[in-house]
Parts: sequence; C-alpha cells; structure tokens
Amino acid sequence: MIYCFYIGACLCLVILQTTILPYLPLLDRIYDLLIPFIIYLGLFRSIREGLFLVLFLGFIMDNLSGSPFGLYLTSYCWLFVGIKWTTTFVQVRSRLLQSLVVAAGVLLQNLIFIGAFTILGSNPKLPAEAGSTVVIQTLWAVGTGPVFLVFFRYIQRRLDKLMNEVVAGRTNLSLSSRR
Amino acid sequence: MFSKKMVLIVGVIVLITVNIIVLSATTKSYPAFGLGHLALSFVAPFQEFVTRSIRFIRGIWENYFFLVSVSQENLHLKKSLNHAIQKNNQMQETELANIRLRSLLNFQKAITNRVIAAEVIGKDPSAWFKTIIIDKGKADGLKRWLPVVVAQGITGQVIEISNHYSKVILIIDRNSAVDALVQRSRARGIIKGTLADQCRFEFVLQKHDVRIGDIVVASGFDGVYPKGLRIGWVSDVIKRDAEIFQEITVTPYVDFEKLEEVLIVLNPQRHEFASQQ
Repeated sequence: MIYCFYIGACLCLVILQTTILPYLPLLDRIYDLLIPFIIYLGLFRSIREGLFLVLFLGFIMDNLSGSPFGLYLTSYCWLFVGIKWTTTFVQVRSRLLQSLVVAAGVLLQNLIFIGAFTILGSNPKLPAEAGSTVVIQTLWAVGTGPVFLVFFRYIQRRLDKLMNEVVAGRTNLSLSSRR
Repeated sequence: MFSKKMVLIVGVIVLITVNIIVLSATTKSYPAFGLGHLALSFVAPFQEFVTRSIRFIRGIWENYFFLVSVSQENLHLKKSLNHAIQKNNQMQETELANIRLRSLLNFQKAITNRVIAAEVIGKDPSAWFKTIIIDKGKADGLKRWLPVVVAQGITGQVIEISNHYSKVILIIDRNSAVDALVQRSRARGIIKGTLADQCRFEFVLQKHDVRIGDIVVASGFDGVYPKGLRIGWVSDVIKRDAEIFQEITVTPYVDFEKLEEVLIVLNPQRHEFASQQ
C-alpha cells in the first residue's frame, strides 16, 4: 500500500515535469521535482523503504531522459546516502534548513550532470547556459523545496491515519464476529 | 587492523570509482537495455493522457471561446506558409541539384519519403538534455535511428522505442550530431547541439565562405537524415586567425518549445557512396 502511494506520487511528479511544466513560462527550467522526494525519503523514511524507491526512480528517469544510463541513478543514490549521513549529526527540522538541503540536493545533481558532460562526455566544453541554469534551479529549490517536503509529510500522515483506521476497523469487526 | 572510519572512506572511494567507470561506459553510447522500453511503456500512457487532456482543454479555449475565426484563419495561414517554405526550399535544392547533375550524372537526388505522423506526449525531465517522447513505436513500423522531421526542418532521431512509444533525441541536444552543408556555398560541417535552443556548426574550415543568413541543410552523408532537409540559418560567424575552423552558430528553423506533432521518415534514402566508388 505504502509503495503504491510512493509510486503514484512519483508518477504524478514525473508527469508534471514532463508534460505540463515545460510549456509554462518561467517553469521550463525548474529543478528535478523528484529531488525533494528523495530528500523526504532520506529524512523521514527508513533505508529499506527509501533505497527501493531511489533505485526505481533512478531507473525510470534514466529511461525517460536523454541522459546516459545511470546518471539519474547516480545522483539519486548519492543524494539519498548524503541525506542519511547528514541526519546522523544534524536534525533537519526548520524550514530554512530544509530549503538549504533541497538547494544542496539540486546543486549536487547539477554537479554530477556537469561532471558527466565535461569529464566523461565527448564534448568537454561547458554549455554556455550552464551557469544560469544552475542558479535558476537552485533559487527555485530554495523557494519551493520545503513546500514539497511539507506536502509529502502531510500526505504521509493522512495515509498512515487512514491505514490505522482501516486496520482498527477490521480488528473490531473480527472481534465482534467472534463474540 | 583497519579502523571503521578507514574502511568507510575506502568503501566510498571504491564506490565513486566504480560509479565513474560505469557512467563513462554508458556515456559513450545509448545502451539498448531490454528493460528500457518497460519504463517508457509504464510512464508514456499517463503522459499521453495528460498531454491530450491539456490539448483538448486548450483546443476548446482557443477555438471556441477565444477568437474562433481568427484562430482558424491563423492555423490555415500557418499551414500554407509552412507548405510554401518547404516548397520553396525544395525548389532551391532542385535548382542547385540540377546544376551539379550536369557534371555528376550518377548522382541521385532524394525522392519522396514514406513518413508517419506522431504526437509529442512528453519532454525530457531534465533541463540538461533535449529529448521528447512520441506516441508511435515498433507497432507503427518505427526503428531506432530513424530521422524525425517537421515542415520547417529536421527535428531529431529516434533513439529508443517501445511497442507504442518512442524517445527522440532533438538536434539541439549536446549528444546529437548532423552532417550538414551550407546551401549556398556547399561548405560542409557537423551540426552539434548546445544547451540553448541553438546549434554549433563545427569543423567548417576557415577558407569556406559562410555568411550570416545562409541556410544550412542536411548533407545526407551521416546516413540518417535525407539530403537537402533544412536545419537552420547561420546566425553568427566568428573567424579567428589562430584557429583552423570557424565558430558558427546556427539557429534551427524548428521551434522546439512549441513542438506538438512530428513526422518520422520510415524509408530515409541512404546514399550508397561506397558502392559508387
């Protein structure tokens, strides 16, 4: 059930950023919306739950994008590992910290992408628009990153509550039928 | 013998090294993993549904609520203009080809191509790559590396296919390359994508005459794009004394931001240069 929710949420984000956002002015260069989701998994979910989704999302994005296979997988895995490591000594609770973490995630992904272009690619020249793209994406991340994190947490809590009610309802039903 | 911290550091270094090796292997070419088309088949139907819904709503708005007659007339005029541009280009190409054919009798001109129309249902999720997803696949006769065009010119080529959907790399992607010619002076080079909606025309020698405004067309030498199809116009030329090649910027005729429908050439004419020699 929980994995269905995660996959559904990711699918919505992927569709949003491949079908709607590219056609909207100002939003055509927005950051990868799955980054806040990966950060959410890193901050609030277990490694077992998160790792499966990180690999799944990396695989999907690598196949949807024109990037070399493994680039999204790489960025998501290192982001997830980085967040898990960060939470061992920092509690990311405040909105400001969350903004910074999402911005750092966006920067890390861009760094990996640019590294793949320049070091591993056939054309070592850095794209002319690389700087502006990174700045725009980071600013978007600072502004909207925590909104996504709050939204994911809210949905998760509602879902947990709903699940608990369903389980409690079933338990009551089975107890009353036994009596 | 080794501390836990040391093992962790070595482990991370090993992981990074393995990661870089794997990435460098996949960066060289587009691997055709068997599972790749599964991801496309999984996400593309949802993209198709959302795109069609948006277009339907937009269509209602544009055609019924917002200047009905003007919109229709505009569409009609745009179609006519595209047709005229294409025809004009074909005539220019025919004229130049006729001149060359006087001396090269065994040269064959590109004839009609069989094409199939497809709708764009999704764009690349990353700002760093320029690909699109279209609603035609293996079941419609598509294969990898087929050229994708629109009336204004070359769009890209098919790089991955599933049964009903395909991924197309646009000519403005950094990994794309098209063998091209300047229509007027026949100067040859390679059109490479940049991150912006422009291309670089690389490997054009300093001695060749290239001017701003010149039309750049596909040469057909790459064995992918049919010869004579338009790519763009030269928007900037820089000649440096110390360099062998010119720095040329080409603005594509295709507006990639507004790309909604494309044509896939199913039987692109390949010039058999080897057999002619």
